[in-house]
Amino acid sequence: MSKFSYNNRPLGLYLHIPFCVKKCAYCDFYSVTDADLMKSYVTALLNHIREYGRTCSGYTVDTVYIGGGTPTCLGPKYLGRILQEVRNKFPLADDAEITVECNPESTDKKVLDVMKKQGVNRLSFGVQSAQEGELKRIGRIHSFAQAKAAVDLAREKGFDNISLDLMYGLPDQTQEMFLDSVEQCLALGPKHLSCYGLKLEPTTPMGRENPVLPDDDAQADTYLAMCELLRKNGFEHYEISNFAKPGFCSRHNSKYWDLSEYLGLGPGAHSFMNGRRFEFARDIKAYINGEDILRDEDEVPTFQRQGEYLMVRLRTAEGVDFIDLEKRYNIDSTPYEEAFRSLMGNELVAHQGTRWYLTEKGFLVSNSIINTIVEAGQEQMESPAPPVFQ
Amino acid sequence: MKNREQIRNFSIIAHIDHGKSTLADRLLEQCKAVSQREMEEQLLDNMDLERERGITIKARAVRMEYEADDGKTYEMNLIDTPGHVDFNYEVSRSLAACEGALLVVDAAQGIEAQTLGNTYLAIDAGLEVVPVINKIDLPAADAPRVKKEIEDIIGIPAEDSPEISAKMNLNIHEVLEHIVSDIPAPTGDPDAPLRALIFDSQYDPYKGVIVYMRLMDGTIHPGMKVKMMATGATFQVLECGHLLPLGLSPQQELRAGEVGYFTASIKTVSDTRVGDTVTEADRPTAEALPGYRPARPMVFCGIYTEDGSKYPDLRDALEKLQLNDAALSFEPESSVALGFGFRCGFLGMLHMEVIQERLEREFDLDLVTTLPSVVYEIVKTDGTTVQCDNPHDYHDPAVIDEAREPFVKATIMTPQEYVGNIMPMCQERRGVFKDMQYLDANLVELHYEMPINEIIYDFFDALKARTRGYASLDYEFLDYRPSDLVKVDMLLNGDQVDALSFIVHREKAYGRARRICEKLKENIPRQLFEVPVQAAIGGKVIARETVKAMRKDVLAKCYGGDITRKKKLLEKQKEGKKKMRSLGTVQIPTEAFMAVLKLDEES
Repeated sequence: MSKFSYNNRPLGLYLHIPFCVKKCAYCDFYSVTDADLMKSYVTALLNHIREYGRTCSGYTVDTVYIGGGTPTCLGPKYLGRILQEVRNKFPLADDAEITVECNPESTDKKVLDVMKKQGVNRLSFGVQSAQEGELKRIGRIHSFAQAKAAVDLAREKGFDNISLDLMYGLPDQTQEMFLDSVEQCLALGPKHLSCYGLKLEPTTPMGRENPVLPDDDAQADTYLAMCELLRKNGFEHYEISNFAKPGFCSRHNSKYWDLSEYLGLGPGAHSFMNGRRFEFARDIKAYINGEDILRDEDEVPTFQRQGEYLMVRLRTAEGVDFIDLEKRYNIDSTPYEEAFRSLMGNELVAHQGTRWYLTEKGFLVSNSIINTIVEAGQEQMESPAPPVFQ
Repeated sequence: MKNREQIRNFSIIAHIDHGKSTLADRLLEQCKAVSQREMEEQLLDNMDLERERGITIKARAVRMEYEADDGKTYEMNLIDTPGHVDFNYEVSRSLAACEGALLVVDAAQGIEAQTLGNTYLAIDAGLEVVPVINKIDLPAADAPRVKKEIEDIIGIPAEDSPEISAKMNLNIHEVLEHIVSDIPAPTGDPDAPLRALIFDSQYDPYKGVIVYMRLMDGTIHPGMKVKMMATGATFQVLECGHLLPLGLSPQQELRAGEVGYFTASIKTVSDTRVGDTVTEADRPTAEALPGYRPARPMVFCGIYTEDGSKYPDLRDALEKLQLNDAALSFEPESSVALGFGFRCGFLGMLHMEVIQERLEREFDLDLVTTLPSVVYEIVKTDGTTVQCDNPHDYHDPAVIDEAREPFVKATIMTPQEYVGNIMPMCQERRGVFKDMQYLDANLVELHYEMPINEIIYDFFDALKARTRGYASLDYEFLDYRPSDLVKVDMLLNGDQVDALSFIVHREKAYGRARRICEKLKENIPRQLFEVPVQAAIGGKVIARETVKAMRKDVLAKCYGGDITRKKKLLEKQKEGKKKMRSLGTVQIPTEAFMAVLKLDEES
């Protein structure tokens, strides 16, 4: 293929599949359960892929991520067509990372075959828990046994780069229960694990129910115990909620954490291209009708961009290097450094030379830390004396 | 112009909830002073707050005409009085303008301490007291018992007293007839030089100060030059007239014995001191009327706005309230923790609450207030004596020769079965027992001398709680007494929080310090680091709690590239932080201050 060159800018491509057999009680990603809309949705998405593919000739797509919703519930035919169309219309790198989110109950032989054929090389399974009670509680429609079977089948079909999703902080979940789920997942031989704390979103059934969750101290202890367990099993903790065997970090998700460019197609999908952020409206019918409703965000001011950069970088184990920061935004990083130093006492942050990063304890309170750091920069921006008019 | 013989000036004395305002409404109705259409509940309590709380805060006067059974029409001036002990001074003002008072007593509850206090004020002022037994419709009503109580305790005949139900509009006519027959007509010489007592004043943005007065001698009319005898200020009367329920009714002249108002383009209320005597500038009276004991602020606290930029609004609001509330005092102060605000003086806790509520409601301000304090007297080692109403200004113990705190004479009236509950409670509050009197077979009056400091927090509530609401309290300032006082400072993360310092008796210091530490611990959100909360006297820590470091504040998922959402969440968090007070490295939400203020003293 000669339609791209490696001089092109890299781009991550995200495709949103807004269908689920049943919505999980905690999830607020955009999806619908009306399978009748699948056909027209796929048509609309294919059109979108063609349309945007044409405008991306200056890019090389080096990661593709198909998420949802439940991509696998589209079935082999539609999934295959979408993957095929991406290959046809976007300048795809030879070694592109192509991930598909898989739900255990709908990841069958045919789906796996089609994905293999279309070059999918990374699968992310939504396992969530190895405890049947918990799966039921959060509204999953599969058992852990199904998840195990699906993962085994995928490996049989030649998929080796497998990621599993897990959740902690579930109602009535003890640390033992969660660590047991982690162990059972490790037994499935994943290369990557994403472990998310449950967040009650007000628009979800669970958010409305507002159940009692394990308290902050319990969740923090669970998190730290999980980090320890995964470290012992050879996983690198490379982002707040993500762990990988060496060389198996998610390249696509990493783009979000270093402000690289990505294009997201589908209702509710987010994009960041040419310094511009936009999102397609969370409305599948409008999307199908080709109403190209974009929720556009204003051009981000430089100083806010610094804040964004810190916000995403500090989610990663690598953190932020002040030399990069100074170069990137042409600023003096001293106030940031001072803010970091003020937090060292409690082992929340650490540094290696000019590279500062959050510790695991720091990850747990990253919102507060990020605010503290970003504010320090803001004060610097605001402190210069106002111009004197004469 | 009424014949002086046909004027009756009276006020109503009643305990809170005994039905004073309802009775006033009924009297107005019977005299057709307001039409049915204009009638609303508690007409005289026209502040929202008064209606809601069912209390009268400001004295008010109203004129009505009554056609009596004798065929004559009488001019009735009702001067309404507040019932709460905090507003005692308003009562004495009202009484001085009257010849008589209705004593309204609940037929079920009987006499209460404050009623008794106010009744004695009225008797001392030479007023004719007319008992009225109200609420006879209640199942628990026992009019004969209450009448006997009145005769035994107060010593005035009550046998023929009207038994009424203001709520059911029962026997109101009888009350009016008693006013006519029992309360004397005013005396005074209309031809003598003007002599009028100012009993209140109200600021009106159009007319200037409206002076409420009772004419003792002489006449007043528009165009007359009048002089305020205490301040010496002179004004030309623009308008004078009667006070009707729904507004002012200008008249050509007011004469001795009448109650009314005048305006004279007076700009500041301070020119018209309540209690002052108004006379004619060109023909002054020889002798001023006896004035009132000026209102003395007993309780002080700092008032700040939650949003520091609203400081000028707070100043405006306080100035406006002060126009009609001479008892409110304030001066600017500043606090490291709270910024700029005012040190305000109040008559008591209810007065303080009322002012705070009015500031919040009528002026839409969000307030932060500091712990209430009383005025202490400090004799310094150099022999000088200073007053201190702010812990911030409390002197270094090294220069204090003697510290004194204000004491009140507290009178508690209670059915005797609760005496056993009340006495230990007073003792805990450092009360000095003076004596106990049986008012009748069941009702007891206890006399204590107590520090005000111990009363202002929650004494009322505690008293009510331990006597199932039957006991009542009255108090008046007594004197300053030497006391072993200490200033307790609160420290957060080692830094002193000036707004939380308080002065307290040494014996009480430890307990209160511990509870404040606990409250702060409960209300200060966890920070990125551990925050010690300490209370200290001088350099010595007497209580300590720890706000543990925050453990979890994280967005687990930052997925699908939705950075905007995460950014918004962080911004929201930042907004929340703006409402916090930054103290060194610690962020304290306003609620923490409020929680400490509402400290429950029971423990």
